Amino acid sequence: MRSITLPPLAGGAAAATVVRWLKQPGQGFSAGDALVELEIEDALVRLEAAGAGTLTRILAQPRQTVRPGADLAQVTDSGTSQPPSQQPSSPSESHVTRQQPTAVAGTPANVTPILMPQAGNTMEEGTLISWKVAEGDRIQVGQVICEIETDKATIEYESPDEGRLARIVVREQETVPIKEPIALLADNDADADAYLAARGTAAQETTAPGAVAVSSAPGAAAAPSAAAQRMPSGPAPVTAGGRIKASPAARKLAQERGVDLSRMGAGRGPEGRILSSDVATAQVGASVAGDGQSVRRPMSKMRRAIGLNLQKSKQTVPHFYVRLTINAEPLFAYYRARKPQTNCTLNDCVVLAVGRAMAECPSVRSQIHGDEIVEFPHANIGIAVGVDEGLVVPVVRSVETLTLTQLAAETKRVVENARHGKLENIGHGNFTITNLGMFGVEEFGAIINPPESGILALGAMREAVTVEAGAIRTGRVMTMTLSADHRLVDGLLAARFLGRLREILENPSGELS
Amino acid sequence: MSTEHFDICVIGAGPGGYVAALKAAQMGARTAVIEQGNLGGTCLNFGCIPSKALLSSAELLHSVQNARKWGVTVGGEIGFDWSEITQHKNKILRQLRGGIASLFKGRKVTHLAGRGRFERAGRIVVTPGEGAPQTVTADKVIIASGSVPMRIPGWPTDPAMVCTSDEAVHWTSLPQRLLIVGGGVIGCEFACMMQAFGVAVTVVEMLPNLLPTLDHDLGAALLAIFKGRGITCHLETKVEQIEVVSGGTVVRTQLSSGAALEFDRVLVATGRRPNTAELGLDAAGVQATRHGFVPVTDHLETNVAGHYCIGDANGRCMLAHAASAHGVVAVENALGHAKPFTAPIPSAVYTFPEVAAVGLTEQEAREQGLPIAIGRFPIGHLGKAMAARHPDGFVKMIRHRETDQLLGAHMIGQNATECIAAATALLHKKASLHDVAETVWAHPTISEAIKESAEDALNMGLHLPPRKVIRAAVGG
Repeated sequence: MRSITLPPLAGGAAAATVVRWLKQPGQGFSAGDALVELEIEDALVRLEAAGAGTLTRILAQPRQTVRPGADLAQVTDSGTSQPPSQQPSSPSESHVTRQQPTAVAGTPANVTPILMPQAGNTMEEGTLISWKVAEGDRIQVGQVICEIETDKATIEYESPDEGRLARIVVREQETVPIKEPIALLADNDADADAYLAARGTAAQETTAPGAVAVSSAPGAAAAPSAAAQRMPSGPAPVTAGGRIKASPAARKLAQERGVDLSRMGAGRGPEGRILSSDVATAQVGASVAGDGQSVRRPMSKMRRAIGLNLQKSKQTVPHFYVRLTINAEPLFAYYRARKPQTNCTLNDCVVLAVGRAMAECPSVRSQIHGDEIVEFPHANIGIAVGVDEGLVVPVVRSVETLTLTQLAAETKRVVENARHGKLENIGHGNFTITNLGMFGVEEFGAIINPPESGILALGAMREAVTVEAGAIRTGRVMTMTLSADHRLVDGLLAARFLGRLREILENPSGELS
Repeated sequence: MSTEHFDICVIGAGPGGYVAALKAAQMGARTAVIEQGNLGGTCLNFGCIPSKALLSSAELLHSVQNARKWGVTVGGEIGFDWSEITQHKNKILRQLRGGIASLFKGRKVTHLAGRGRFERAGRIVVTPGEGAPQTVTADKVIIASGSVPMRIPGWPTDPAMVCTSDEAVHWTSLPQRLLIVGGGVIGCEFACMMQAFGVAVTVVEMLPNLLPTLDHDLGAALLAIFKGRGITCHLETKVEQIEVVSGGTVVRTQLSSGAALEFDRVLVATGRRPNTAELGLDAAGVQATRHGFVPVTDHLETNVAGHYCIGDANGRCMLAHAASAHGVVAVENALGHAKPFTAPIPSAVYTFPEVAAVGLTEQEAREQGLPIAIGRFPIGHLGKAMAARHPDGFVKMIRHRETDQLLGAHMIGQNATECIAAATALLHKKASLHDVAETVWAHPTISEAIKESAEDALNMGLHLPPRKVIRAAVGG
């Protein structure tokens, strides 16, 4: 008999209210079955069983509000328990409401833009995954024309209008903000191209009046729309002042993507002016042609997730750093002695020591959720593991309760699973350990993985000369840098925690037995 | 000096006092009401009514200027006649004042013109502008003296250059460049109106939101609309220095952001203070706060038995309709009932689009730690709004997740001030969100958004994508 508890909630919601139980006492369930539905302010939470079992007793009744960590029900395990498959927020199907195209200033009546839809309140941009139709096709209202990936889900986008698809504006794998045209409906291509050209012009007029000097050379005044149809093959036109003619939107995009406008050739705007759409489509070719070496590719989901998470952490979590160098001789001796029976790594020894130190330090086994601190009963430690695409952090739970043998086995298991794409205990971690010692790095400071309290960065165990009681000594030392969230852990606490950790690590056979 | 005795004496004939007097008379009490100025108080003479008269012209002008959007072409020059607009305003003010006077007459309420001041509890001296003072005594007294706009100490006092809403609703000419200090209800209404009349408007607000007392999403939405119209808003900004220069024709200001700006006129809309300093509250033993507000019990009674305080002067809710509602309850209590005042009070902001709200904001619900769910519905999704080309705005409903009770409703959009009535009635009757969702709302209307957002808060919405579902594995 054991309990299932409410995991930490997305977005740091402080509590959730039970809507209904999808399993009743006495009913069995298998891995992946939905057990209970709860609601938070703006979303539903569906808890799914990580393994098979039987629900024996419901502890949180419908309409009851519970906080993360609260017991929801009692269950008994049945059969073999499978390793939990982690789906923090698997993409649910969503249906996109029809978007009315918003009028763009000066829209020619015979061109209808299809816009990147806003599928959900938080969506700001979408990635075009694949087109289901081609230029020249006639499309119907409600016909699925493309697949779009949002920050949450991949959706099939149904055309809000009917007509002939004259131009695809956004290519596959490109990302654009919502309400930007992704394609144009028009009976003839010239209208569509004139529309694109006009958008470039409109952008110039509205965003930076007078910022771009437009050549007023006689004879070049009227740019016929026919001339704007095809990309001229010549070099990009240059103003009298030597500036390349490009719309401000194109300049911005070029800057963002590192495209060199001077290497781009003429654009599709009036008089060959470079438009943002030119930059968007020319990006790869332009940069490869540019220096022949650099390769441009979209960020993978993982890189983007790492980027967003750590950027948010660095910007919102008040980090501070405490560093300490320990005498690592006892630790090294302990590791050498225990290795044969336990199959542990040096890292495991440190993880265990951190777990024991955390057991005495509630602030460090905490998470921060909005204005609330959630204190965990156990030290749940994330272990940073480098993988091909980036970095994953599987979590080992209740570290302080494990023996070194158990910890070594459990760590090996979660790390192996992580390398194969199965992340365990995500969201339960209250602390992380990251180790670059094996690469000879002496010391470094790491970024906290929110909502955890801190992260400990381990440097290499290295030989050094130290002074002890006035005498010079040589031996192994190791530098550890704690990054702590000041909202949870003050300097004094951080120093005490590190001090206690040093005590354990400098006397492991006494403390870790 | 003659002394006349009444069952009830009301001090002030604004929307609180005149309604209290009528209610008292209706219930059979011999009633007097003391008013030194025009009947109708701030609401009728310096607030709600004159500003709405001006706004109606501003809104029409705004529509005509944008008529092309509706496929309507307007020939010739589009302009306005300020003197015509102010004449219409003055005419309706006269009409409404006359209306109150005849209501008083019809119910035999004695109107004592002059300034009232307590001599002691239950005894008031009324000093008219001309003529001899008169003393009245009353069994019960209702203080309804209202409030006046705050002026900022140390700022130029020339009311032609640095004004409050009292002067602004009666401007005989318009400035070219107007600074509005304060982005609350009054500041936003004037900003919207003056921009439509072609005035270059700058709003400076100390807090990070427009309409800071309302749900923050409303101020954010209004800010976006203002920006689109070219109204400049400086949030989290203070006016550090202000001086009248160029022979009294230009106001030079220095903002905390460092910007140095010049204006032709300044409207100070930073709030209102209770108009209680001259009432002689001490003589009656009625306690007031440091700021002059008179604290009252839930029955609207002050610390002195038989003395009640309603409306702006008690500081509970400084809105005309709150004062009127207080007035009725205070009179009922004065005449022997024991009725606490509990009704929810809606707020209405007459910008275009309008803003309206009732009940708890999201921020208040959070502070109280209530388990809430939030429902939203964009007004732009409604057929009526699309057809009428008024797609801006949304409705937001706050629901108690455990009891399902409606806690608050917040709207921005065309007709919001009318639509909020439905939400207010439901909130007053302690409706659940299911009650709101089960009510049938006429189609096509803007108020359909109330039903839709209620359904969203219940995860039952049909015209929105399904709510986000967060999945998590447990029991591993």
